[in-house]
Amino acid sequence: MRRWRGIIVPLAILVVAEIGFRVSIGASDSLAPPSRAMVALMSALGDGTLLANTARTLAGMLGGLAIGGAAGLAAGIAIGFSETLRRASFLTIELLRPIPSVALLPLSLLIFGFGYGMEIAVVAFATFWPALILTQNAVAQIEPRLIEVARLMGLSRLETAWKIVLPAAAPRLMTALRLSAGLALVVAVTAEIVSNPQGLGHDLMIAQETLRPERMFGVLFWVGLIGWGKNAALLRLERWLFSHRGEVDTSVAA
Amino acid sequence: MSTINRIPGPVMGVAGLALVILVWHLVTAGGFVSKAFLSSPAATWDALQRGLVSGELTGQLRATMLRMINGWLLASVVAIALGSVIGISQTARDFLRPTLAFLRSLPASAIIPIAISLVGLGPSMVLGVVVFGSVWPTLLATVQGFATIEPRLRDVAQVVHLSRAAFIWKIGLPNAVPDIIAGMRLSLTVALILSVIGEMLSGQEGLGTAILLAARAFRAPELYAGIAMLGLIGLVSSYGLLIAERRIVRWR
Amino acid sequence: MANSKAAFAFEGVNLELGGRPILEDISFSVGRGEFACVIGASGCGKTTLLRLLAGLLTPTSGTVRVGGEPVTTPSREVAVVFQDYSRALLPWRTATGNVSLALEAMDVPAAERPQRIAPLLAKVGLTDHAEKYPTQLSGGMQQRLQIARSLAQDPSVLLMDEPFGALDAMTRQSLQDEVLRIASERQATVLFVTHDLEEALYLGDRVIALYSNPGRIARMVEIPLPRPRSQLATREHPEFLRLRRELFTVMEEIHA
Repeated sequence: MRRWRGIIVPLAILVVAEIGFRVSIGASDSLAPPSRAMVALMSALGDGTLLANTARTLAGMLGGLAIGGAAGLAAGIAIGFSETLRRASFLTIELLRPIPSVALLPLSLLIFGFGYGMEIAVVAFATFWPALILTQNAVAQIEPRLIEVARLMGLSRLETAWKIVLPAAAPRLMTALRLSAGLALVVAVTAEIVSNPQGLGHDLMIAQETLRPERMFGVLFWVGLIGWGKNAALLRLERWLFSHRGEVDTSVAA
Repeated sequence: MSTINRIPGPVMGVAGLALVILVWHLVTAGGFVSKAFLSSPAATWDALQRGLVSGELTGQLRATMLRMINGWLLASVVAIALGSVIGISQTARDFLRPTLAFLRSLPASAIIPIAISLVGLGPSMVLGVVVFGSVWPTLLATVQGFATIEPRLRDVAQVVHLSRAAFIWKIGLPNAVPDIIAGMRLSLTVALILSVIGEMLSGQEGLGTAILLAARAFRAPELYAGIAMLGLIGLVSSYGLLIAERRIVRWR
Repeated sequence: MANSKAAFAFEGVNLELGGRPILEDISFSVGRGEFACVIGASGCGKTTLLRLLAGLLTPTSGTVRVGGEPVTTPSREVAVVFQDYSRALLPWRTATGNVSLALEAMDVPAAERPQRIAPLLAKVGLTDHAEKYPTQLSGGMQQRLQIARSLAQDPSVLLMDEPFGALDAMTRQSLQDEVLRIASERQATVLFVTHDLEEALYLGDRVIALYSNPGRIARMVEIPLPRPRSQLATREHPEFLRLRRELFTVMEEIHA
């Protein structure tokens, strides 16, 4: 019975919202009861518009994640293994890292115009930093005994990287990927809310501008669902890949 | 190779930065990138100075910072108060955990259309959005911090007949402080982001609006100067919190 | 067991690390097929001795030789078995995969590897566990796996750094006998580091006791006990008891 406790609150909120709306407001340009939001969501799914927008947002998110993540991974490995690089890059990284990705939206828009380019660029910038830092940490935490064993066996540097470093760091890299993916989605949607006229974020804004609150809330729920679902799926993948090692990190992105 | 290792870290860091700036200068000087997209280091520095001296940039900086900090402080108070009440009660946590997990995965910026819908595009909308969005990281961290109180301490509190409020204040809060501060750091990042977005959408004075206008007018130096200022806010706020955190944790 | 060409030798070796003397004037040689044990207090430098032989450290002065040649870098001639077996094995590979790593390092073609891995696993009694991951193996089995992997290198010298320190007494005893069997089958030269005097006497042809701070040779004793050794008979042998008494006093001096 205790398991069901978690469902009560959301259900209660929905019920109260539904009743409250019908009883007091009746009709509104800015609010909608959950029932209408669900209907709007279903019809948006049905006519394909929501899925099309979802695909666009995901494309922007994944494109940016691929670029930013790969660059961060490569840089993180290079810096993780080279003390010289680490000390030389420290100041530059600390100065560039705090720039909020939203600050780059106008610049990105200027360079790329509307479309995937600007969104991917900003997502890439945003995901580069966590990928870099988490990869650095992952490399630093590799069991030193394993590196020693590789040396004693006469493994070449490339062999050591491929057979020892990458598999050893893989669980933490997977966690880094999961956290970066969460960030990528948020940044992509944000880019669409502020400047890019495509995707789910734009859908939300248009729904608000055209005074269709039921669609707005429906899409909002959908966005939350996607974020939650993506995280759950990646977590499951992590467990499946690494459970035989006993090393799954279940920290969740804020 | 070992001589490089003997150069002190900070010097290496400055050298690395200097190298990056040099490359930046060469790229713009060589005309590889259009001046409209990338202003030279010199032009950016110039715009920075002009903006600060004339007070224009400083004014925008202040506006954004105030918005961010006010929203963040308000959000923190609400988040800690609410989070502590939820956190110490296993029952409350059970009831609310899935709801909080779902809300955690929502992009904070997604509430903006709703806020616009409800309140319009004024300054109160922006502040409201900042507060609403910044609440979550601190709220969740506070709940987490209170949830992990050593059970033995609860027994002690019961034996000594500590009231719930006193328990929160004397035992729960100190225990949760590291988590709360970590959450507040995240909240501050969110507050900055939402402030900037809010400005960009509503045209309220601040760095967000400034860089938007600069981009539209193809004035790259001002654009980069504005970005640099935002980066500065991010830098100062995160380091400031880090220092405050060390001070507070040192008492324990 | 003198040989014209010693399996390995320390010639006037000194080692300083961070300004502190760790090993001082270490000189001895071990012949081929000999089983040498090094005992001493914790931190006396016996592990450092082993690492010098492995090529992981270079002496401040003096020479370390393996097969007559000075040691400069790690070579496949020398294999090492560590005490912390769980950290020295790849948790993402099965037992077979772990042994395979040594063969891959030697550029053995993939087709040949299974037929070389199988007998090695059989030798340490892990045939039935070949497809298990290290986390699914007991401590003793993991250590045997590490031994199998070290043998895959086909080394001329086997270095073992307190390999049974983390295991329970029963497992320790059975592994001691296994190591003796493997060593005699391959005529391998072994340097075995331990803090356990009885283990050193049981296993070795020679025991080298080290002082601490810095590490210096305190005593070198030949162990003329009959082979093959037996857990019950050897440990009650009068010569065993005599040597134990003799070295016990040395150990007390060392620990003083």
